[in-house]
Amino acid sequence: MHCEEVREQFADYVIRGAEDPASLQIAQHLMTCESCRTEAEDLKTLWTALGAIPQGIEPAPAARASFNLMLEAYKHGLEQPAARSLWQGMNKWLGEWWPRQPAYQAILALALLAVGVMVGFLAHSSRVLFNIQPNPEIAELRLELADARRDLLGTRQMVAISLMQQQSASERLKGVNWSYQLRQPGGEVLTALLNTLMHDPNVNVRLATVEALRQFGDQQVVRQGILEAFTHQESPMVQVALIDLVVDLHEKESIGTLRQLTQDSKLDVSVRDRAQKGLAEME
Amino acid sequence: MVQSADQAAPKPPRVQVTFSENDGCYIRMTETDENLMQAVRDGDVAKLGLLFDRHHRALFDFFVRMTGSGAAADDLVQDVFFRMLKYRGTFRDESRFKGWMFHIARNARFDYYKKHRAETLMPEDGAENVESRTPHPGRELEQEEQTSLLERALFKLDADKREVLVLSRYQDMKYDQIAELMECEVGTIKTRVHRALKELRQIFLKLSGERPLCIVKKSGNNLQIM
Repeated sequence: MHCEEVREQFADYVIRGAEDPASLQIAQHLMTCESCRTEAEDLKTLWTALGAIPQGIEPAPAARASFNLMLEAYKHGLEQPAARSLWQGMNKWLGEWWPRQPAYQAILALALLAVGVMVGFLAHSSRVLFNIQPNPEIAELRLELADARRDLLGTRQMVAISLMQQQSASERLKGVNWSYQLRQPGGEVLTALLNTLMHDPNVNVRLATVEALRQFGDQQVVRQGILEAFTHQESPMVQVALIDLVVDLHEKESIGTLRQLTQDSKLDVSVRDRAQKGLAEME
Repeated sequence: MVQSADQAAPKPPRVQVTFSENDGCYIRMTETDENLMQAVRDGDVAKLGLLFDRHHRALFDFFVRMTGSGAAADDLVQDVFFRMLKYRGTFRDESRFKGWMFHIARNARFDYYKKHRAETLMPEDGAENVESRTPHPGRELEQEEQTSLLERALFKLDADKREVLVLSRYQDMKYDQIAELMECEVGTIKTRVHRALKELRQIFLKLSGERPLCIVKKSGNNLQIM
């Protein structure tokens, strides 16, 4: 074998130590060729030394919790398109019936309006004529349903608040996640979310809270809390998330805070850059 | 599947053993990575949690060795598992899970690199940025120094050359698996490994002031540079 042929096989026979009939020929060549032998030994040493480089960094302790959060969000997202597709199906079905010509559309709209008015008039007349009273049982059931809804909302709020006070970061993440189920959260939930944002020791929990608060961004107390939270954050990731949030919410009162951030030399450069970009968008 | 403890299965790639009660008897259940991923693909997305437990450390290791940053590696691991969910439909019955996972991992890393190149957050910009490793008590100073130099040399290699060494040396992937992943011939991978090692040696010599690498010998469970 020639040197060139032998060296082409180094990846197999020298590094990986493969054994087959060709390895004997290579071994014989190495005994007689000093330059190939030197290279083979160097590569083998290097390969072994590479194995001694430790992988000293551990994954973040919250990696599993972050994954769980992502998985839950994905599952939640999977359920949403199903509902949407039903709506889209109905829309499509109605669309097929709806006339294309504007004149026919106007006629159909007027006809539907007339039918609606007539039905309303007949319903009112029959109630007056036959003196129909609203069924007390139905009225009672409606009240019970409203009570049950209130209870459910209260329970959800309680679960969210209770989870947010747990020792485990993954439980607190679950608590933050629960807030997505509350369309109109009470003051206690908002306070718990804002407290979590300001004081939770875990960065992932605080990041999840920033996202959770986004849905309640129309409430003044949330906007004020978010601005106040800037002074409590040291993590650049959370600071960047907060900047993105106030920019998305078009919170004019944050302009002063953003300006301060751009001038604070102690902050991470990526935070200052993001604040600068945010200012440009707001102004 | 009922199996006795001493009945050797035909070497499945990765097996999780759990016990489940069935009619008062305990049966042994095995689930390969491929089975789990097929279940995820078919809608049982919660099973991805088992795959996360099995593989997130290996992925983290790959990303740390490629980017030199633990924070970036954490983000990328999450990104890979998110992409697995998003593109779960692309996992075919005949696919091998590890190859498919690293295919996604490579794409995630390329995207990460593209996204952050313009920003100040460095990804793979060389050895100076490598996060400090946990000190290993008892290791000889010279060995520590050589290992550190070699690590710096590894980060000075081009990303594609470093990748082939990382996959081969630390992820224990065979050349044919790497070739399948990179969509090229096995011979090409062997040549790349050979060239990458030669270049790594040159860089190491330059960093060490032409001082050759000491021979590494195995002593007990530890590797020592003598």
